[in-house]
Amino acid sequence: MRRGLVGLLAFGGLLEVVPRLGLVPARYLPPSSVVARALAAEARRPAFWTALGGTVRTWLLGLAIAASAALVCGIVIGSVPVLRAATASTIEFLRPIPSVALIPLAVLLYGTGIRATLVLVVYASFWQMLVQVLHGVGDVDPVARDTAESYRLGRVARVRYLIWPTALPYAVTGIRLATSIALVLAITGELVIGTPGLGQEIAVARTSDAVPAMYALVLVTGLLGVAANLLTRTAERRVLAWHPAVRTEAPA
Amino acid sequence: MRRQPAALAVLVGATLASAACGSSTPARPAPGQPDKVAAGVIAIVDVAPIYLGKQKGFFSQRNIDLSLSTSQGGAAIVPGVLNKQFQIGFSNVTSLLIAASKGFPVKVVCNGVASTGDAKDYSGVVVKAGSPVHSAADLAGRTVAVNTLKNIGDTTVRASVRKAGGDPKAVKFVELAFPDMPAALDAGRVDAIWVVEPFLTAATATGGRVVAANYTDAAPNLTVATYFTSVELTKSNPDLVKRFTEAMNESLRYADAHPDEVRQVLTTYTQIKPDVAAKIALPKWPTDINRQSVQTLADLAVGDGLMPKAPDLSALLP
Repeated sequence: MRRGLVGLLAFGGLLEVVPRLGLVPARYLPPSSVVARALAAEARRPAFWTALGGTVRTWLLGLAIAASAALVCGIVIGSVPVLRAATASTIEFLRPIPSVALIPLAVLLYGTGIRATLVLVVYASFWQMLVQVLHGVGDVDPVARDTAESYRLGRVARVRYLIWPTALPYAVTGIRLATSIALVLAITGELVIGTPGLGQEIAVARTSDAVPAMYALVLVTGLLGVAANLLTRTAERRVLAWHPAVRTEAPA
Repeated sequence: MRRQPAALAVLVGATLASAACGSSTPARPAPGQPDKVAAGVIAIVDVAPIYLGKQKGFFSQRNIDLSLSTSQGGAAIVPGVLNKQFQIGFSNVTSLLIAASKGFPVKVVCNGVASTGDAKDYSGVVVKAGSPVHSAADLAGRTVAVNTLKNIGDTTVRASVRKAGGDPKAVKFVELAFPDMPAALDAGRVDAIWVVEPFLTAATATGGRVVAANYTDAAPNLTVATYFTSVELTKSNPDLVKRFTEAMNESLRYADAHPDEVRQVLTTYTQIKPDVAAKIALPKWPTDINRQSVQTLADLAVGDGLMPKAPDLSALLP
């Protein structure tokens, strides 16, 4: 953590020195001190906080929709072998389609509001999580499955005591990966479609030739990403405290 | 472990609750309420009058509750108007002509923005200091950056070249976003850039030279962009369209007469710094649409192959 901070400070120092030395024109890449001042100016603008709230809302909402849909679909598809075989190639076909390619469709369907950007966010993060959950469900220990069979556990009990604990670590990893993807897509949607949020503020700063303000806003999106990563890692450690991969005091 | 399903349930519940909140603006208000009008615009100098007019109450006086959303470009605004997310949109004339020629039911309601009509316009083609290009004719054989290919930029730049006696077909166009153009020109990646304010001021401040005022060259007092709506709204609520047009025309007149207030309002919806806003060249905001210039843009668009044939202008224009 501390070493990470040192690295970050060094990076900031580099961004200060490079334009000051004239290696890159300061007009196009302002020194970090100038960006920091622009960030302070942004923090005094109410529109900035509204935009930040808008981005966080789109991001978390998209993530929540994708996570719930992926969990339900993953468990259902994963536990029915016929369904799994039937959908495998379709999933592999749909998964790599870049969400950004859906922008024209999203705009046609939902205009430029939050729903258009949500389409992108949900699409990108859903596959990420679905594949993880499917792997998780497929990873159920055969002995445990046979045991459940012998004890004649019902469908619900099997999901609760067999599939859920096995799939959970996978699902949590999926959520952690999807969190940053969802943020990227939320910002992209705002930038390109014009959904209110930080991305749109970046676009406005860009078209206003306000270069330091633009970098300040980009910096904020980076900070959001770091915060999200810290949060999901902490949550992962809590939710999976019982799991051997996380349990430190008693290694399995 | 036991708490997880509860947490998940909260998550799903929150999702469903917020999904249920999403709704679009209704065009018809409750009796006694002002009409809600959502307008899709681009956060650029051109749309200053609508922001100024909203601030001055020209719309609320006419019982219109105007909300403005900014998009990156016409690509999001035309669909937005057609699917009723917006009642009004802002678009350049060439894009609207192309949309109309493809059969999209769009209808211009009033003027948006016009060129100044002289050599010191708010749009221009800029070359680097020391460039061998001295007039529009010299652009033949050169690379010129425009923000969108096959649109108002390249057709009017070709018009400049043609007018100066050069070969318009010999100009090579590349697509770049306005904000990226000054850097591309500095780095020598392109020979010339077509920019509008505030990038025109930015590009000339670092030594760039304006070699052509492409809007001025294309047609005298060129109507560059207009506000438009869907044909459907003109039929279902002609009164609302009429009131919007009146409010917009008052806004245009006010903006044209009060440049200082325009420069001030610019700093509210863009991030243009006050010192830059004080310097940039402002366009003209006449209330009349210059039909002759729209015809010229249509001819240029057909001539350059942007559309097979011009749409019916009398149906498109008010």
